[in-house]
Amino acid sequence: MLTNGALAGVKVIDLTHHIAGPYATKLLADFGADVLKVERPGGDPARRLPPFFHDEPHHEKSLPFLYLNTNKRSITLNLKTNEGRSILMDLLSDADVLVENFAPRVMPSLGLDAETLEAHNPRLVVASVSNFGQSGPWRDYKATEIVEYALGGLMYIFGAYDREPLKHAMNQAQFKAGTNLASATLMALYHQRLTGQGQRVDVSIQESIASALRDVTNNYTYVGAVRRRQPNHTGDLTRLRAVSDGYVLPNPGIGASLDWQILVDFLDAPELDDPRFDNASARLENAEALGEILDQIFATKQKQDIFYAAHQKRFIYGVIDSPAETVENPQIRARDYFVPIEHGGLGEIAFPGAPFLMNRSPWAVNSTAPALGQHNAEVLGALGYGSQHLAYLTASEVI
Amino acid sequence: MAGPLQGVRIVEMGQLIAIPSAMKWLADMGAEVIRLESVQRLESYRTDSLYHNDVEGEFWNRGANFYEQNRNKLGLTLDLSRDEGRAVLRDLIAVADVFAENFTPRVIRNFGLEYQDLRKIRPDIIMVSSTGYGFDGPWANFGATGPATEGAAGLAFMTGYKGGGPVMSEIPYTDYTAGEHTVAAVMLALMHRLNTGQGQFIDVSQTQTCSATIPEALLDWTVNGRIKERPGNEDAAMSPHGCYPCAGDDRWIAIAIDSDEAWYALCRVMGRPDWAADDRYSDVLLRIRHRDELDKMLGFETRSHDNLELMAKLQAEDIAAGAVLDSEDLLFNEHLNERRFYEVVEHHPDTGMPPLPYAGRPWKLSETPAGEPQAAPVMGQHNQRILAGLLGKTDDEIAALEALNVIGYAPLTPRGVRRPSLDEQVRQGRMQRYTTDYAERVREWFGIES
Repeated sequence: MLTNGALAGVKVIDLTHHIAGPYATKLLADFGADVLKVERPGGDPARRLPPFFHDEPHHEKSLPFLYLNTNKRSITLNLKTNEGRSILMDLLSDADVLVENFAPRVMPSLGLDAETLEAHNPRLVVASVSNFGQSGPWRDYKATEIVEYALGGLMYIFGAYDREPLKHAMNQAQFKAGTNLASATLMALYHQRLTGQGQRVDVSIQESIASALRDVTNNYTYVGAVRRRQPNHTGDLTRLRAVSDGYVLPNPGIGASLDWQILVDFLDAPELDDPRFDNASARLENAEALGEILDQIFATKQKQDIFYAAHQKRFIYGVIDSPAETVENPQIRARDYFVPIEHGGLGEIAFPGAPFLMNRSPWAVNSTAPALGQHNAEVLGALGYGSQHLAYLTASEVI
Repeated sequence: MAGPLQGVRIVEMGQLIAIPSAMKWLADMGAEVIRLESVQRLESYRTDSLYHNDVEGEFWNRGANFYEQNRNKLGLTLDLSRDEGRAVLRDLIAVADVFAENFTPRVIRNFGLEYQDLRKIRPDIIMVSSTGYGFDGPWANFGATGPATEGAAGLAFMTGYKGGGPVMSEIPYTDYTAGEHTVAAVMLALMHRLNTGQGQFIDVSQTQTCSATIPEALLDWTVNGRIKERPGNEDAAMSPHGCYPCAGDDRWIAIAIDSDEAWYALCRVMGRPDWAADDRYSDVLLRIRHRDELDKMLGFETRSHDNLELMAKLQAEDIAAGAVLDSEDLLFNEHLNERRFYEVVEHHPDTGMPPLPYAGRPWKLSETPAGEPQAAPVMGQHNQRILAGLLGKTDDEIAALEALNVIGYAPLTPRGVRRPSLDEQVRQGRMQRYTTDYAERVREWFGIES
């Protein structure tokens, strides 16, 4: 455990599995909280998430699992048994936070309803993340990543105008909700530290998507219009464009005050020197013509050349980089973003590192993701269970 | 105001989304956030996406994006290019807990607002900087947008239709990713200050926050040397899995079949016992092998269904299915309504805008809930309250600042963006459709008195 982490002395009991919950507790653990991961005897299903180390499917070799569970300890506990629940209640006696991401009906069915937990430890912050929140008519709906994209409203505006809506690759909805769970839990913890009062935190994955849509619903409430996936040519100067060796995100500057001639000169494109394009309102009226000309111009450019040339002029261009290019990016390298971590048995793995840097209470990985039940003896021993009792609990599949 | 963060004062020199969205959520939960802007440099979020698409009058107080990102904040105009403006900011820093900004390091240095400068004024200040690529390093002064950092992080490259190029959403997605991480970062710093009395400097790289959320792709490269093809809507472990057309114009449903039980239930709901009886689809490996034909078959069946009705039928059978909701669906959604997700906010009377609903937060705290929402400030709305009430400036001192345009109540060079007519926007494809009875429908659904 870190001694100078922001959360030194904070004790978290972590019942979460898969991605959203574990990402939240990773953020807490990487900044110093003591996170005890309580896994079902079969293990967190994320242990079976690909990709695997060298493509060897094994419950200690899932790369997403190894990433999501740094700095945590692991015990196994069958919460469907009385002994399992009793051990959990012991652990909760002096805990600050309980984090869970079961379907909302599960905790009460285990006898772990809010009232019981509050009576047991009034200081406890009980933090939950679920697909649709702990209330409402869709509370028990089933969801996966693509369903959250659909019901959160991001999918409808994602993709090609005349094709099926799309989602991001991988598991963005869950990472987003996990980040929000960490924030909301910290707010409740801050209040606990000031007043001694615990409380319940209810984070919804659907609302995590729906609260980050910019002016999409305002388009309806302000003018009555429903935003759609845009065709390529909408007068937007900042749309992704293909160049000869990849893709760039052009951006001549922010706002309505762009001096058009500067852009014409930068792109060396006299065909754009035209009153149809020289102000924002005109560009919207002549969007398709503008888009076609821009496509032709950009096809002659090269990615790195135009990116660096643009920034010389303080045009905020972007590049589309593959994971290989991201790893080699001079900025990413200069900031030592990828962190080599020695994994016993697997050797050194370069992990994505700190999402943000804190100069007084830094991010750090002090221990790698735990093996399943790695800390059973240590944790239960501290609760006063002797080796015979541990053997009994193991034999009866409580741990 | 309610919320766990009462007593925390934040001075925000933000723009657009990355910092403003984060500070909005902290303001929602009780922090006093003083949002700086200037009459010299009109933020583009005040000039576009305007109420009634109306660029006449004080349009800068009617921009959707500004309202969306700045709820519950106090507004102060301040020209930081002048000594007098910077002097006021120093006075504010002296009584602030947090200073938050998302300009490039060059700008912050020019204004003398680096962490070491602020510490001299307030030793335990927490400063949070949010930049595209980080506060130091060779790209530190490269300005960035959400799409640019989504590109640099590796996410945009991985996303897109099978066989096609990279695709991005229609919003600056990673600005929110950064904002969400910034809320966590500020809370961590507040916890550290409670423990130790120390402030600190937080350096948020928007790119790094996004990369932190795609370990699947980044570790597949660093460990296995592999970069996967763009998956479209496919999932490696599920089939059928995708987005299928429904009845109506541009209506869709997302369906994810994650078990054999779900597959047989799908066959029942779709009225296709022949699919269930077909050995070619009897387990997930077989269904993955026949993915393309299953997608075609399912898409042919779904197109005669209403997407919301089909979702309800599938969910009743425990199948993960979701109608692809557009903005109108979201606003008039029963589930979100029962959770009071959209919150009605009253606007300043001078704007002529009625109360309107805005998206709330993705969390609920049982004992310290968010308070009643207040609209984002009209330009300079809280100048007097902050300068006189908080900093104790005299009327003469305030008048002197106004005479120099250090503070003000309207942009010096206002320029609004008028969008094309709604018919033209629909023709261009920016909008799917529009209605004329929207104001009445919003009033009725949200119980707003006219």
